[in-house]
Amino acid sequence: MTTDAIPQQVPEKTEPQIDSADVVVGILAEFVPDDFAGICDSLRTLPEPLRIAILHEDLVAKSGDGSQSNETIKGASLYFMPSLLAKSDPASGPVSNFSTLYQSVLAAGEKLHARACFVIASKLVPVSPEWPRQLAEPLFERNFDLVLPHYARRKFDGLLNHSIISPLTRCLYGKRINNPLGPDLGISQRLFQKVLGGARNSGDATRTHPAISVTPTALVENMQVSEVNVGARAYPPPDWANISSLLSQILSPIFLDMERNAAFWQKVRSSVSVPCSGDRMEIDDDSTTTVDIRQMVETFQLGNRDLREIWSLVLPPATMLELEKLSRLLPDQFHMPDELWVRIVFDFALAHRLRTISRDHLLGSMTPLYLAWLASYARDVRVANAWAVDRRLEKLAIAYETGKPYLVSRWRWPDRFNP
Amino acid sequence: MWGQVKEALGQAAAHFLTRSARLLPGLVALVLALLVSLFVAWVVEVIIRRVLVGMHFDEHLIRWGFPAPADSVHPNPISRLLSRAIGFLVVFAGFLIGLAAFDSEWTTLFARRTLEYIPNLLGALLILLIGSVIARFLARSVLIGGVNMNLQYARLLSVGVKWMVVVLAVAMALEDLRIARSIVELAFGILFGGIVLALALAVGLGSKDLVSKSLERDARKVPREPIEEPLRHL
Repeated sequence: MTTDAIPQQVPEKTEPQIDSADVVVGILAEFVPDDFAGICDSLRTLPEPLRIAILHEDLVAKSGDGSQSNETIKGASLYFMPSLLAKSDPASGPVSNFSTLYQSVLAAGEKLHARACFVIASKLVPVSPEWPRQLAEPLFERNFDLVLPHYARRKFDGLLNHSIISPLTRCLYGKRINNPLGPDLGISQRLFQKVLGGARNSGDATRTHPAISVTPTALVENMQVSEVNVGARAYPPPDWANISSLLSQILSPIFLDMERNAAFWQKVRSSVSVPCSGDRMEIDDDSTTTVDIRQMVETFQLGNRDLREIWSLVLPPATMLELEKLSRLLPDQFHMPDELWVRIVFDFALAHRLRTISRDHLLGSMTPLYLAWLASYARDVRVANAWAVDRRLEKLAIAYETGKPYLVSRWRWPDRFNP
Repeated sequence: MWGQVKEALGQAAAHFLTRSARLLPGLVALVLALLVSLFVAWVVEVIIRRVLVGMHFDEHLIRWGFPAPADSVHPNPISRLLSRAIGFLVVFAGFLIGLAAFDSEWTTLFARRTLEYIPNLLGALLILLIGSVIARFLARSVLIGGVNMNLQYARLLSVGVKWMVVVLAVAMALEDLRIARSIVELAFGILFGGIVLALALAVGLGSKDLVSKSLERDARKVPREPIEEPLRHL
């Protein structure tokens, strides 16, 4: 780490005016100055001589300088350009803010005719400033279009990703990607132009979230995708009051992408792994960490009592019967079969497409069901080690793939096929 | 004398028959208008029912939260009801046209006053329909939000919100129909004012002990280390 990579004084300098850059890096997480300097140093050591534009909101406050780097260590030059990054809006939700920031990073890449864009949105544990370079190497050395991180996993990390996003992506598009939504990722020019073009063609910027559309776009266009093993993410504390809005903001664009790409995923029959580089990191995860599932079970039971009328518009009678049986179980016996959860996700995706009820109400009413799965999962892995957790999640992913014929049939004949 | 009686009777009968004869064309016109309107109403009813059934109108209404009529033996009962209602309106319009053919002052006045009232009627129906849709939407939003917040009384809240909006819509519709205006205004004011006062008293008086206990607890509270929540969703 070279602390003199970032000048200490706060000069009155203007942002560098450059017409092009080879790489645009959007740093969306808040790093302490030392870690930030480490990331900059890591980017400077990329193998080729590159012009790298760094976009970071708090750049001037942290680094005290928005000017062109005066040092070109090993051929890479850094240009700090905070004005190209969109400003976060405190009134918008975190997901909307993230989407706006992603959009601005990709737009900056297009404006500067960059060969690649990177988004660094996570702090990792253990801290490893080298990891942004690990994202860049597959893009530049092996011509991949999309590089995603494979975070080291603790059993209660990324639950929405493990319960729905990752296995659904695997089932639909046939590629086993652990973190389809990143949020850290490296994208080639070819891919980010496709994503930006798709956002413009859809005509409604609120319907497309670049962070969510990147992976499906890459898979549908048969682009090369790879993963990189990195450390565990440091997550912000969860906001239980906002799980409903989180589900709505994340799942709605995913279901919209599903609708857009229906012709592609209906033909996919099985899944394959994507290339993965780097050594898998083992992290300390206290295998005896437990979660109190009583409140989650209570919310599910309350939902079963009060939301049956809404669920019955979306779920077939067989599923409603199983939910009724599930609601009678005590917390220490609570178990939601994977096949039931998979059918629920598929039915909600179909209802989202058919607009059976208002989409906000639809995804809001899914919250008690998600909590039911969560309670069941927490009970299943309460004393599990990392290997057992992997097996548990693999079992869920296989259940998604096995249940795909159900999804295809319901998607094609929503009125006729109703078990 | 008998001759005068006979003459008086004859004149009265002739007068009656003359008056009746004058009414005959109007009566025939009324019957004809009714027959024609019945035929037109039947045609309109069939067309509208087919269009509504083709649009799956009943299913859409059920999804929007309107309950299906109970004890209905016919398929698509809502479409059937709506098409029948429109048919009835056509028959009623034919009746008014037939009445106007009598060329009598009171029938013309009756027809005119009825036709003048129709915009108010349609406005009131629109208010009721929109109010009903909004009531159901808000009720569903409150229900889902309340369940997600683990409120045991979520359903009660949802029903309360729905009925408040429905009562408001009914009051507005009655105002539009000019039916018992001052009574409706007064009743509505008393009802809503009573609800708000009852809620304020319930919260103020009912939570008095809770608030004082909570304040005492805060004053005595020892700061504790926050418990870390192990679940991470995204």
